[in-house]
Amino acid sequence: MMKGYAGRVLEIDLARRTSAYKPLDEEVASLYIGGKGYGTRLLYDRTEAGIDPLGPDNPLIFATGPLNGSVAPQSNRFAVVCKSPLTGGIGNATCGGSFAYAMKRSGVDVIVVTGQSERPVRIQIDGKTDTIEFIDADDLWGKGTYETQSILGKKMKHAVIGPAGEHKVLYAGIVSDERIAGRSGVGAVMGSKNLKAISLEGNRKLEMDDPAAFKAYTKTVRTLFADHPHLGSSMKRFGTAGIVNTTNARNILPTRNFQKGHFDDAMDISGEYMEDNELVGVKSSCIHCPVTCGRQVEIEGKGAVKGPEYETVALLGSNLEISDLKKVSKWNYLADDMGMDTISLGATISFAMELAEKGMMEIDLKFGEAEGVSELIRDIGHRSGVGDVLADGSKRMSEKFGGADFAMHVKGMELSAYDPRGSYAQGVEYATTNRGGCHVQGASMYLESTGPLTINPQNLKLKADIPVVQQNLACALNSMVLCIFTSYGMIPAMIHNLDPSSMTHRMLSKALENLGPMFRMSMSMKGPPMFWWEKWMTQITGMPMSAGHIQEYGGRIFNLERMYNLREGVGADQDTLPRRILEEPTFEGMTSGHPLDQLLPRYYKNRGWDAGGIPTTKTLEKLQVRI
Amino acid sequence: MSVTVELSYDMSKAFGERRIALERPANVKAALAEVESRFNTAGADFKSLSRVTAIAINGVLVNHRRGMKTALVDGDVVAFVKAASGG
Repeated sequence: MMKGYAGRVLEIDLARRTSAYKPLDEEVASLYIGGKGYGTRLLYDRTEAGIDPLGPDNPLIFATGPLNGSVAPQSNRFAVVCKSPLTGGIGNATCGGSFAYAMKRSGVDVIVVTGQSERPVRIQIDGKTDTIEFIDADDLWGKGTYETQSILGKKMKHAVIGPAGEHKVLYAGIVSDERIAGRSGVGAVMGSKNLKAISLEGNRKLEMDDPAAFKAYTKTVRTLFADHPHLGSSMKRFGTAGIVNTTNARNILPTRNFQKGHFDDAMDISGEYMEDNELVGVKSSCIHCPVTCGRQVEIEGKGAVKGPEYETVALLGSNLEISDLKKVSKWNYLADDMGMDTISLGATISFAMELAEKGMMEIDLKFGEAEGVSELIRDIGHRSGVGDVLADGSKRMSEKFGGADFAMHVKGMELSAYDPRGSYAQGVEYATTNRGGCHVQGASMYLESTGPLTINPQNLKLKADIPVVQQNLACALNSMVLCIFTSYGMIPAMIHNLDPSSMTHRMLSKALENLGPMFRMSMSMKGPPMFWWEKWMTQITGMPMSAGHIQEYGGRIFNLERMYNLREGVGADQDTLPRRILEEPTFEGMTSGHPLDQLLPRYYKNRGWDAGGIPTTKTLEKLQVRI
Repeated sequence: MSVTVELSYDMSKAFGERRIALERPANVKAALAEVESRFNTAGADFKSLSRVTAIAINGVLVNHRRGMKTALVDGDVVAFVKAASGG
């Protein structure tokens, strides 16, 4: 058996209420690692084109990778893969907490849930005895994610849906602890199966190729993290919302449904403000993670609850022109309890606000006014009244009410909180990422707009290169499964401490910007391992790993996702950005918006795709992507 | 019309204001000198608070323009930017 894997896939048929353990396909694992990669291969192979995402034929795949079950920092995420009801293409999301660790300890790498149950059901997996139970869940149906987990108790770890999943809100997520597999509508797929929860426990140990080396090296990485200005300091102090003032200063903080990139009151929703005024009790983290990016804030009537992350304070804060962090925290709690992605939720509400402002939709919502938003979030989660309309997301709303030019989505998935007009590579990433308008499948903005060493984000240099490298890296990380935040540690502490106005800093950023094809080539070299995830992979699985291997694995996974999308009719015509982003300037000196038309052909070429955005046979063969 | 300087969070805490309006400083260097002077008057330590902080004009880093010599015009917003990661 391959080291780093439990070696088993648990197949669950909800219609028949049967289960069976099958051996892990080692060939698939050796090509696609695990997590998102393994799940995508399964989805591609086991489904026919054109299946109904909310029908019985759409498998819901929970997948861990070889790093899960270890104590490596940031290694406790699982991936969920299925056909997305939001985009009609590939759907996936990852979730932190402690479920991934428990899942691996229960002795399974992957859980494949097929069919649909006639009645609400939950699944309980005892990995100590390999006992699988199907338990009626009528008593839990309708309950929020927090109450559901509370009722299910602390003995096992749970992945659950709330009312949003039950009502098939197209951006419903799956919640575990305080974390959520938020994007793509994976919660709606779980709801379509009448599956309320999966609970599991186990006590199996992860077998590693070189446990002594892993133990010693992990200690080193923990020290590196502790000393790192982002992972060990700013994210610990301010959480992910510590980036608010940065994106605002860079004019890329979504404001008023992306009409602007600057919010005058941004400071009031920032991580720094949260630390000074809202933070209570301990900060929270996923199991074994020293970063502790999770916050705890207090909201009326509920006490200490999870605080909002950056995406939430931006999409439900500045993007609605709301500066009341208490309100945003409350909406964040409500959305989590309903089991909804706050990014799509916020962008859909801001779209409704603009529609109302323009007289295109009758709804009592206004930018800058918080009144009615709490009720609307509940209505969306239950698909009540006008909430039923917003539950389908901004793309479908634009088909009904008009306003496609300012419906802020790609492929049907709402954009996250980095305005690409001030971050060109991020725009290319949004346009081409297979699951839609998302930032954590690459995070290109870190190298051009928010990180310690940024290139000019508003010229064409490297803007078609960075997304390729970053998307590949993210595909690999999401298959190990490691938190994407780990990649923020790539730039060493010494760079953070350089004066950005110094000649050294300017020369370094210029040198980076002018690397051209060397950038991708240097990242594709199969030399000695550079980063901790590469070393961990070798220590755990025994497989050789380097930046070049990571790019190869990631490229393979990305291209398979692309082929899945093409098979499902999500083609190059959807590799685009909202017209507002393409045509409306937000920066002085801009005559138009994002120059995607100039960058997309370069991106396709860098990917080894033809001019129509289709991977060539040569590319697929080189990457061993079997179609 | 004037130039607005948006302070960082820590600067605004020390200075007591979030923004400072300046009457048309010629360039970024002049603007920062004026801000430093006002901090000194208020007894706040500008140098330590602005350490490892980049400068942006209307969202664009001055490093991508003419650095501290970048000229300012009416309505410009000068902001202090710290590197950060989120998601």
